[in-house]
Amino acid sequence: MTHFDRGASRRAFLKGTAAAGVAATLPLSSAFGASFPERNMQVYVPTREGGGADRNQRAFAGVWKKYLNTEFEAAFYPGAAGRVAYEKYMGLAKADCHELIFGNMGPEVLNWVVEPPTFDLNDFMYFARVDADPGIVFVKRDGPLQTIDDIVAEGKKRTLNVGVSRLAHPATLGMLALGRHTGAQFNPIPLSGGKNTRAGVETGEMDFGALPAGGIVNRPKNFKVVLMFTHKNPLPDLSDNAPTVNAKFGTSLPDLVAGARAYGIKKAAIEKYPDRYKILTESLLKVFDDPEYKEAIIRTKAPWELIGYGGPEECATYAKAMTDIGKDYKDLLTGKS
Amino acid sequence: MEFDPGLFIELFTRMFGFWWVILPAILLGLVVGAIPGFSAANTIIILLPLTLSMDPEIGLVFMVAIYASSRMGAGIPAILVNIPGTAGAAATPLDGYPMTKQGRSHQALAISFVSSVAGGLLTTIMALLAMPWLSQVAYYLHSVEMIVVMLFGISLIASIAARDTLKGLIAGFFGLMIGLIGADVVYATPRGTMGLLELYDGVPLIPALVGLFAISEAFVVIERRSILSDEGQRLMEEAGWAETWEGVKIACSKWWHIAWTSIIGLVIGVVPGAGASIASFVAYQQSRTYSKTPELYGTGHVEGLVAPESANNGVTSGTLIPLLVIGIPGGATAAIMLVVLQYHGVTVGPDLFNDKPQLAYAPFTAMAVTYFLMIFTILPLARYMSKVTVVSTTYMAPIIISFTLVGAFVSRDYMFDMYLALAFGVIGYVARKTGYHVAAILIGVILGPLLETYFLRALKMSQGDIMVLFSSRLGNVLWVGLFLSVGLSLYFEKRKKPGNADDG
Repeated sequence: MTHFDRGASRRAFLKGTAAAGVAATLPLSSAFGASFPERNMQVYVPTREGGGADRNQRAFAGVWKKYLNTEFEAAFYPGAAGRVAYEKYMGLAKADCHELIFGNMGPEVLNWVVEPPTFDLNDFMYFARVDADPGIVFVKRDGPLQTIDDIVAEGKKRTLNVGVSRLAHPATLGMLALGRHTGAQFNPIPLSGGKNTRAGVETGEMDFGALPAGGIVNRPKNFKVVLMFTHKNPLPDLSDNAPTVNAKFGTSLPDLVAGARAYGIKKAAIEKYPDRYKILTESLLKVFDDPEYKEAIIRTKAPWELIGYGGPEECATYAKAMTDIGKDYKDLLTGKS
Repeated sequence: MEFDPGLFIELFTRMFGFWWVILPAILLGLVVGAIPGFSAANTIIILLPLTLSMDPEIGLVFMVAIYASSRMGAGIPAILVNIPGTAGAAATPLDGYPMTKQGRSHQALAISFVSSVAGGLLTTIMALLAMPWLSQVAYYLHSVEMIVVMLFGISLIASIAARDTLKGLIAGFFGLMIGLIGADVVYATPRGTMGLLELYDGVPLIPALVGLFAISEAFVVIERRSILSDEGQRLMEEAGWAETWEGVKIACSKWWHIAWTSIIGLVIGVVPGAGASIASFVAYQQSRTYSKTPELYGTGHVEGLVAPESANNGVTSGTLIPLLVIGIPGGATAAIMLVVLQYHGVTVGPDLFNDKPQLAYAPFTAMAVTYFLMIFTILPLARYMSKVTVVSTTYMAPIIISFTLVGAFVSRDYMFDMYLALAFGVIGYVARKTGYHVAAILIGVILGPLLETYFLRALKMSQGDIMVLFSSRLGNVLWVGLFLSVGLSLYFEKRKKPGNADDG
């Protein structure tokens, strides 16, 4: 080693030490925020692979990764109607904004009405809704019941079996509310997911079904939508211009959006790393305007009309509405009445 | 969906042209099928970025080849080391593993390969020719009918109990009780979970399978020098290509058995939600019922190996029928295929057969070509695979335990599942040492939750009226068949002296 080398090395060492000292005096979160994300994003999904949430998350994350410059890894925990995923997330995920959960808010919030989770709900929040898929009533295209009037009339003569994804689900609540209002007898049968529910209606084991619209309107040869549980029908052309429940029956139900898929996060992560959270929210907004995202959604045959951003406030309002109506029907959802 | 011979000839020719996709997919499928905890479904999920980037037809061929070959792959460790790779192969070791212990693993593998390929090929061709009619099966087999179908499989417990009534029934009942752990399917109320989140979704199948069969077997064989009997050791030393060829000849002589048990698989596979585990146990039970030598089942009986292997490969083509004809996937792997097809903008359902007949029929022609190519790929390997059985248990037992613990872990990524597998291993070991039948426990664990699902659904639909079980004409026919089947089985069993049963 020459003197020059030694001097250069010493200078480099001193410079490096000084830089490290300056960096150490900066707020920790800013230092990390500048390089966020530092690793792949982890997404907990409370449903099975191949379902609606998987499809939406895959399409969304496929574009979002471009703006975050990292990959997304999804882990699926479909146990106990999604409960396992939330418990795992709140128990295991690091509160550093790299780990998120992506679920369908309605059914999952209703789960907690039926049985509270082990974690404190105030420690968690949904921060970005990616779609608003209305709850609908649907029938088999060539089945005996063809309109909502047929269903209500038949339901007054005999109890009709309604295929639903889960009992604690906005579409199920819509059916129970409709039955309460019209006096028709509906017996919701939980069939563990949209796929099985569609099979139940298609094969005639169920009299009709109630699900989010997205998985039904893209199968017009098999099914016909006969009622929407929202104040407005966002898919008139794809749903045979199905009436909305409040307009048709004069009810005053809140919007029962059955598919409101959203990203959730630990509040501790936001408090600890506000700059990272800002990067997350700013980057995800860009996805909605990206033609690549629209292309990905259309390719999956999901209606683009149902895609739309909802911020933390909208998510909180929706979760509260679901909680309130869930409490109203808690006995029916738990089999106590 | 009219039969067009010209189209089929063109399709088969085209599919043979995809040999460069099919052969690697076969090898991959055989490997992942043989690893406990892996399956075609999660392999296809892992490879989604690859399949999504492929042309839809090539992607479909690739997925179908993995699907078909993984089903066969799951039977290999089931036969050689008593580790069923999936629940669909859970009935395979009942007779496959005793054959291995007798030094007949070459034969057992060859029989398994020929039964799988012949059963798969036959049902694929049947699916191609009779797709419109077969798709109607799902319209008739509802919850009530499925309860009875399930009971055909569960009634195997009764057959086992015929040898030792009390122990057989206790083991079966114990398995059913374990199967009831988890949240109920209607109200999602947790039962018997002891507050453990990992049990909310029920007892996971892979840890139960590998624990009861493989780990308990490892505990047993560690007490010996080899998993082979002394005679088996001698036979293995002398075994060569002749034994493999002998296995092929034996399997070919059981062509009728392969045919009807694979059709059981095909029919059960068509019903959405039903699967290979139901089919293989039902086929095994039916095979045993109508056998002239039911007492030999469980001791390394050829027909006891042929039945589950043919049936679980019959399921493979069956699950694709509702996917393509009515747009509803018959199983988990079919559901993933649907994701890929949708990604490429392909709408499945009746119109696909008119709009894109090449794509609509491609899964079945690809499956037939896969089975055809598979037999030439796998059969020569039987001899070499069998060598694993001569490894000393000093090395083999720890390898089995480590391998299966990893398998228990990978299906859900829970450490808990590894402990659970060990716990089931201890249960299985105690059961073996005290003369309780491990298979009876396992039947309860696998089929119990499925039975409960259909049972609770039927009761909920009837609002608690138990007579719903006898409310369907087809269901009633099946009930009569069930009583006849169980009655005959018990009658023949009692008439014969108890065999030298080994639960494998």
